[in-house]
Amino acid sequence: MNRTATATGHPAQVLMFGATRTLGKNAAIAGIDLAAQGGLITVLGPNGAGKTTLLRCLATVLLPDSGSILIDGLNPGHESDRLEIRRRIGYLPQDSGVADSATVFDVVDYLAVMKSIGHADLNPERSRRRQVLEVLDLVGLADKASERVGSLSGGMKQRVVLAQTLLGRPSLLLLDEPATGLDPEERTRLRSILSERRHQATIIQSTHLTEQAAYGDRILVMAAGRVLFDGPPERLAAVAESRAWIQPTPPPAGSTRTFWQTSDGHYRCLGRPPPGAETVAATVEDGYLLLLNQ
Amino acid sequence: MNGDVSGDMNRDMSGDHQPPPPPVGPSGFPHGIDPARIERNWTAISSELFVPRPSRVERWLQRLSVPPSVTRLMVATPALRRAWFLALGLVVLIGLAAADGTRTRENLLALLVMAPLVPVLGVTMAYGSRSDPAHEISLATPLSGFRLIMIRSATVLACSVVVLALASLLTGAVPALAFGWLLPAVGLTAAALALMTVTTPRRAGAIAATVWVVAVTTAGNVSNDPLVAFTAAGQVLMVVIVGIGLVVSYRRRDRFDLLAVAS
Repeated sequence: MNRTATATGHPAQVLMFGATRTLGKNAAIAGIDLAAQGGLITVLGPNGAGKTTLLRCLATVLLPDSGSILIDGLNPGHESDRLEIRRRIGYLPQDSGVADSATVFDVVDYLAVMKSIGHADLNPERSRRRQVLEVLDLVGLADKASERVGSLSGGMKQRVVLAQTLLGRPSLLLLDEPATGLDPEERTRLRSILSERRHQATIIQSTHLTEQAAYGDRILVMAAGRVLFDGPPERLAAVAESRAWIQPTPPPAGSTRTFWQTSDGHYRCLGRPPPGAETVAATVEDGYLLLLNQ
Repeated sequence: MNGDVSGDMNRDMSGDHQPPPPPVGPSGFPHGIDPARIERNWTAISSELFVPRPSRVERWLQRLSVPPSVTRLMVATPALRRAWFLALGLVVLIGLAAADGTRTRENLLALLVMAPLVPVLGVTMAYGSRSDPAHEISLATPLSGFRLIMIRSATVLACSVVVLALASLLTGAVPALAFGWLLPAVGLTAAALALMTVTTPRRAGAIAATVWVVAVTTAGNVSNDPLVAFTAAGQVLMVVIVGIGLVVSYRRRDRFDLLAVAS
């Protein structure tokens, strides 16, 4: 096995077979099966669905209690395989932070040093420093390299953490709620970075925002540690086909559990439409909400 | 980053006799200019413009021939610095007590009991999600958690030993006794590392420190010699603890490589 990794440009192959991980008394993920290679996969689900545990298992910082995970055929349960997998991944944990007192460059360079072990693209030091500047440039922070992290806005701090995931051109990108704290312009930049990379890397991002899931190649809807849906965004929208309608008054109690008032004062309802209802084109959000309420 | 070069060139700056702009290639640069070369040059220039100088501590360590990548790991962890400052505060207190020449034996005992706690504090307070906001990110890197904690422990131990050695000289006791804390410092750190494989870092530090203070006090009371723990027999015991601590830490090194969450 090659112990000095280089950027291959090939997306990592991710396989999960019945992966289960219990945290406390509950199974955070229960019997998850997943096969992926390339593309942008969005894991969508409410809080507590198991998205973070799934990503932590893929990032090799947690091991499943049962079932198995293989990344490019390597098993994270074995120490040498685990370190090899870690040469290939870029990981953005949820609620991660960086030291406010350090400069933007130092923070990313510190993590680059950790990633540089056995990584040809991040050695020698000159290459590593160049890549640090490159990833800061990608997230639009090259001119802030000398500034202290504490002086940045929340969105900029999130971009600093995002920048480190791109070091070493990883073939597997794991991003837990990457859009947290980003303004619309920053989210657009994130989308273009991910869209550009999805042919060289397998990208798995988690979110509970449906609009963020809609631009991916594939959506996994999770609830209570299980996968409820796995398919392209269009298919998730199709779940609500002919089951979304608009009416001027709130639906009678008990007729549907899911409805909300839109900006024009009408009510958008999901479920079995009453006779003569004015059905509308279904969205990813409609499909997601219907799935969760079934 | 590339900028609008053709726009700059077209700008009328000298009135009517402006020469026609050079033809522009498909890359947006004038013919004959290699965009890849410009990019390389820009990277080199930006390295100088935007990359901050390493901190004074880092430069000082590099002058001592410590590799730059290791110095970065040693000093770029704010939690490690906080733990150092705390430990340093403890050392200053010990030093002030030791400077009181009227109570030499009590001062020596205070130094010998407290000094081994300094590196334990430094190591256990700088590791884990509670101390290091980038802990989970660093776990997912190919630098094994065991190697990282060993680098940090060695750093903390080395710094602590230097400062504590100065405090020891203030006691005026014979060096063989005044430096009796050295092996216990290494032993307690190794014990704390081993405990970190079964519990949280802070709890591990608290357990190691409590057991140490209780053991030294009890041994002193039982033998009527407060310094009995620092005799040859006590030092041999510490060597054994160092060995056991390191073996346990190494054998259970997976625990430094994975996220500590309730299972």
